[in-house]
Amino acid sequence: MSKLRIHSLVRSPTLAALALAGLCALWPAPSQARTIHLIETGSTLLYPLFNLWVPTYTATHPGIRITTEATGSGTGIAQATANLVQLGASDAYLSPALQHLHPGLLNIPLAISSQMINYNLPGLNNRPLHLSGPVLAAIYAGQIRYWNAPAIRALNPDLPLPHHLILPIHRSDGSGDTFIFTQYLSFSTPAWMKSTGYGTTVSWPSVRGEIGATGNPGMVQALATNPYAIAYIGVSYRSAILKEHLGQAWLKNRAGQFVFLTHANVEAAVASRAPHTPPNQSISLVFAPGANAYPIINYEYVIVKNHQASRHVARAVREFLDWAIAPSGGNAPTFLNRVGFAPLPKLAVLQSQRQIAEIH
Amino acid sequence: MWFRRLLAFFALLVPLVLLAIAAFLVFYAWPAIHYNGLDFLWRDTWNIGNQYANPVQRHGETVMPGAQFGILFLVAGTLGSALIALLFAFPLGLGAALFLSEAVPHRFGHFVSFFVELLAGIPSVVFGLWGIVFLIPFLSHHVFPILARIFHFIPFLARPIGSGYGLLTSSLVLCLMIVPFITATLRDALRSQSTEMREAGISLGATRFEVATRILLPGQKTALAGATMLAFGRALGETMAVLMVSGNALNYLPHNVYSPISTMAAFIVAQLDSALADPTGMAVRSLAEIAVLLLVISLITNGIARFLIGMLKEHTL
Repeated sequence: MSKLRIHSLVRSPTLAALALAGLCALWPAPSQARTIHLIETGSTLLYPLFNLWVPTYTATHPGIRITTEATGSGTGIAQATANLVQLGASDAYLSPALQHLHPGLLNIPLAISSQMINYNLPGLNNRPLHLSGPVLAAIYAGQIRYWNAPAIRALNPDLPLPHHLILPIHRSDGSGDTFIFTQYLSFSTPAWMKSTGYGTTVSWPSVRGEIGATGNPGMVQALATNPYAIAYIGVSYRSAILKEHLGQAWLKNRAGQFVFLTHANVEAAVASRAPHTPPNQSISLVFAPGANAYPIINYEYVIVKNHQASRHVARAVREFLDWAIAPSGGNAPTFLNRVGFAPLPKLAVLQSQRQIAEIH
Repeated sequence: MWFRRLLAFFALLVPLVLLAIAAFLVFYAWPAIHYNGLDFLWRDTWNIGNQYANPVQRHGETVMPGAQFGILFLVAGTLGSALIALLFAFPLGLGAALFLSEAVPHRFGHFVSFFVELLAGIPSVVFGLWGIVFLIPFLSHHVFPILARIFHFIPFLARPIGSGYGLLTSSLVLCLMIVPFITATLRDALRSQSTEMREAGISLGATRFEVATRILLPGQKTALAGATMLAFGRALGETMAVLMVSGNALNYLPHNVYSPISTMAAFIVAQLDSALADPTGMAVRSLAEIAVLLLVISLITNGIARFLIGMLKEHTL
C-alpha cells in the first residue's frame, strides 16, 4: 500500500513542482551583491584559531562572510592553488618546487605554533624526562627500544626508568606536526636526515610496537591508552594532555640546553630565528640557536594567490589578513592564548604586511 | 518514439558513468602505472619522496627524489581483513538465514529480518565510532590477552597484542557490516524452495536440522557462493569504519592478527592530503592507481557474485 502511495506521489507533476519550489525556498536567498564570500580550508591546527577569528571579525565587517573548513595542510595548498578557495591554511611553508611551479603563490605567517613531546610512563609522568633529537631519532628508527636504554638513562640519571618496550606513536595521515617533528630529528641528527628526512608524511622506519594515529586527537587517545608510548602533539592539545595526566618532555636545543615549552622559551627561539626570515617568509624555525630557545616551533601559514578573482575579493582578503596579524586584532592574546599559539614578532608582522600588500 | 529513446538514454547512462569513471581513473593514473611498474604490487614502501628538494627525472617521469610507491602491505591488509571478516560472517550469516527461514514462524521471521536489513543500512562511520569507543578498549583489555594466552603456540595468534587497533578488530567490524548481505540473500534463496521438499523430508523422518542441512542447503550452493562473494566485495571496499579502527599501518606487513594494518580504500583517504602537496602530482596519481586496482578487484568479485546469484534465479524459476 505504502509503495503505491509513494508512486502516485512521485507521478503527480503538481506535487513534484511544489516540492521543487519548496526546495528552492529553502536555498539561501542571494544576499546583497556587496557581500563577499571568502572560503578558508586546510590545516586542522589553524582551524580552531580561524573559528575564533571569524565570528569576531565578521561581526564588525558585515560585508564579508568567511567559511572555515578543517581539511589538512595539503588540501589547503592544493585548493588555494586551484583557485577553489581564497585562503589555504598550512602548517608547512611551500616547497621550493611548488613555488617554482606557481610563482604567484604566497605563504604568509599568521602566528607561531609549537609542539610537545609527550609520554605515558606510569608513575613517572610528573617527573621531568629529558630527551634529545638524536635519542628521539633513535627511538623512532628502532635503534633504542627500551626505556632504560643507556642513551636515555644518560640524559636522566635520577629517573627509575623501566625495562619496557617503547611504543613510538606517529601520525598516519599527512600532517604539519609530522613535518616539524621530523625537521627536529633531521636538523639534530644527520643520520635521520639521510635515511628518512622530513615531510608531512615520511616513510617511517618499521619499529616493533609502533602505532599510527590519525589527527592530534587520535595521538592523544593512542598515548593515553598505551602505557610506555611516546608521541609528538601540537600545543593546542596541551589541555587534553594535562587532563589525561600524561608526561611532557624537556627537549635538548641546539645550544645543548634542556628546555621546557614555555612562552619565554618560544619567544627566545623566535627572537633568534625570525630575523633570518627571507622576504618570501619560507623558513623553518625548528632547532633554533640560543640558550633558552625551544627547539620545535613553526610559523602557521596562510597560502594565498597574489592575483584574486576580482578587486573586491582581493581587498577583502587583504583587510582580513592585515587584521589577523595585527597585535591589536587577530594576534591579540585573547585569541592566541586559547589555542596555545605565540604572536608574530614585529619583523614578521612587517614582512607579512608587505606580502599581503601584493595581493591584488 | 521519443519516450523509448529517453528510456534508452537513461538505461545507458549508468553503464556509461561506470565506464567514464574507469577510463578517467586509468587515464589519470597512467603516469603512475608507467613509473611504478609491477613493483607497485610487490614492494612494501610508500614514500612520496623529499618534497623540499628539486624534482628529478626517473623512468621518463618527473618525480620528487626518493619517491617510491609499493602497496604490498595494503594488498595484504585488504585481503587479510576481508577474508577473516568472511570467516566470521559466513557461519553467522548462514545460521541467521537458516533460523529466519526454517526455525521460526514466518511473521516473526519477517520481523527479525527487518532488523537484519536495518543493520545493512547503518552508516559505516557509526560502526567505526562504536569500534573506537567500545570495541577497541574491550578487545584490548579483555579479549586479546586471553586469546593470545590460549593460542600462544600459534604464531599468528600469539603476543604481542598491541593497542587494539588492527587486523582482527577491523575484521570484526567488517564482519558485522557484511553479515546482513549473506543473511538476506540466503534467506530469500531458502524461502524460494518448495514446501514439498520440506514436507517430503519430514515425512521420511528427518529432523528439521537434517532437512535444512541435507535437503535445502545442498540446492543452494550457488546462492551461498554468490552471497559470500557479494559480502567479500563489500568488505574489500569498505573505507570509513576500517580507517577508524585499523591502526593505519604504513610500510609493513601484519606480523599477527593484532598488528595494525591499512587497506587500499582507507589508505587513499589517509594519504590524500599529503599527496596533494606533491608538486609533480605523482603521489596523487599513485593513489589513483590504487583506486584503479580497487575498482578492478571489486568489479571482478561483484561480477562473479551477480553471475552466481543470476544463475540461481534462473535455476529456481
